[in-house]
Amino acid sequence: MRAYFAMMRGAYMIGLVYRFGFLFNIAGNLIYMSVTYFLWRSIYQNRETLRGLTFNETYIYVALGSAVFILLKTYVDWQMSFDIREGNIATYLSKPVDLQLYELFTSLGFFLMSLSAITIPTIFLLIFVFRIEVPLGIGLAIFPFSLILAYLLSFCFDYFIGLLGFYTESVWGLSITKEIIITVLSGALIPLQFFPDAIQKILLWLPFQAIYYTPLTMVAQPDLGWGTFLPMLGVQLFWVIALFALTRLFYTQAVKVLRISGG
Amino acid sequence: MHSLKDYLRLYFMIETQYIKARMQYRADFIISSIGMFFSSLATLGIFWIIFHSIPDLAGWSFMQLLFIYGFYMIAISPMQILFDHIWQIRFHVQQGTFLKYYFRPLNMMFYYMSEMFDIKGLTQLAAGIVILIYASIQLDISWTLARIALLLLTLFSASLVQISITLLAGCAAFWVLDSYPVLGLAWKLREFAPYPMNIFDGAFRFTFTFIIPLGFVAFYPSQLFIQPEEVSAWVYLSPLVGIGLFALTYWVWTKGVNSYTGTGS
Repeated sequence: MRAYFAMMRGAYMIGLVYRFGFLFNIAGNLIYMSVTYFLWRSIYQNRETLRGLTFNETYIYVALGSAVFILLKTYVDWQMSFDIREGNIATYLSKPVDLQLYELFTSLGFFLMSLSAITIPTIFLLIFVFRIEVPLGIGLAIFPFSLILAYLLSFCFDYFIGLLGFYTESVWGLSITKEIIITVLSGALIPLQFFPDAIQKILLWLPFQAIYYTPLTMVAQPDLGWGTFLPMLGVQLFWVIALFALTRLFYTQAVKVLRISGG
Repeated sequence: MHSLKDYLRLYFMIETQYIKARMQYRADFIISSIGMFFSSLATLGIFWIIFHSIPDLAGWSFMQLLFIYGFYMIAISPMQILFDHIWQIRFHVQQGTFLKYYFRPLNMMFYYMSEMFDIKGLTQLAAGIVILIYASIQLDISWTLARIALLLLTLFSASLVQISITLLAGCAAFWVLDSYPVLGLAWKLREFAPYPMNIFDGAFRFTFTFIIPLGFVAFYPSQLFIQPEEVSAWVYLSPLVGIGLFALTYWVWTKGVNSYTGTGS
């Protein structure tokens, strides 16, 4: 286990190099949050609620969504594709480490980096500059756990695309497609309540909603109660276990076709 | 100096080779095109969903927004297709490979940009054209020859605005080395171009009109077609905005190119 933590620390240190990038990321978030503020203000106009959500609830949802968006991007697919092209992956495979755990822990290093450098400052801006009142409730307390599960899920998708790279070499198209599917269907940009009813029902059965909709709802509507939140966490946990197992299984197949040239 | 005709011929030759090389990865090309197609429709999807709950957005109907969106997709395509190599500039500048572009008797911007031709951007262009035609039929826009000429002119100018904003962000590489964050920000901002500018308050509307003129990528020029009676006279100036901005961008590019000293290796 110590080896994996060392990898995590290494990734965190690498992340530190890109301090200049964080400023632009925060600036980008700030602009995004302002634009969505104006957008949702004109959507609500003088309406009290839309689809059972108040303006404040919806705005917390989408603004926090932009703050955690960068967190939940693991970049594991891009990293693996790079490592396949450069031949580095052969070195990892020859070491006594598990590839899935290796990728998970390096990406966790970046996760901690983005958390401290982008997400937390963005949340502070949200509270102190935009003066958003975050309602208190048990949802707020469960949110961190839910976010971790969401991260593990997001990781599974990225790792899966990374493994597909064993077959296709380039993952640009796959990554972009995966990203757009997750962003739209997970409710990252707009609460699922706004989707037409039939679509909403289908989306709740898919794993994507467990990445954004679940944790964001816990903060936007924190007093929905245990009766709502516990099943939500259960669903998240179910998907994490299922997708971890499936990607492990897929690895045993994918590794057979891997051909490395160079390195 | 080469004539424009020489450049066109040369460009055609370079891109045919480039496309041949890319076509070796056919599966990747198909998946990338699909990905591109869906990602350029994401914001439209959000508008579509929102319109299930409200009848209009800041006074605009869904069809009007659809027209603006079609205009936007066409206007951003030349940037995507012809100038996509700007994303690589940070690698070339950091690693010193940018030096090679100095050693040909060609316009440097032309030579640099000609090294990439993003075929998948064509799907975005095609989708934009279909959306624009569909929306203009639904909105009963009557197309005269003069109107079509105006559309082509405004599209040309709007695409220059988009190209200029992105290239200016990319040119940051000459001064800060890693221009990726700046480009990323410009890329993120691009998504706001199809938003109705009248949802914004003073400072933001001013910024998106005069400082980072995203409004000229789609919203302002579209007004000339979806509500021509109500546009203010200065919107007719939008063709000049694109040309002026591109001239500025070219000047910045030249400055950057002249100040670059290589990596010394």
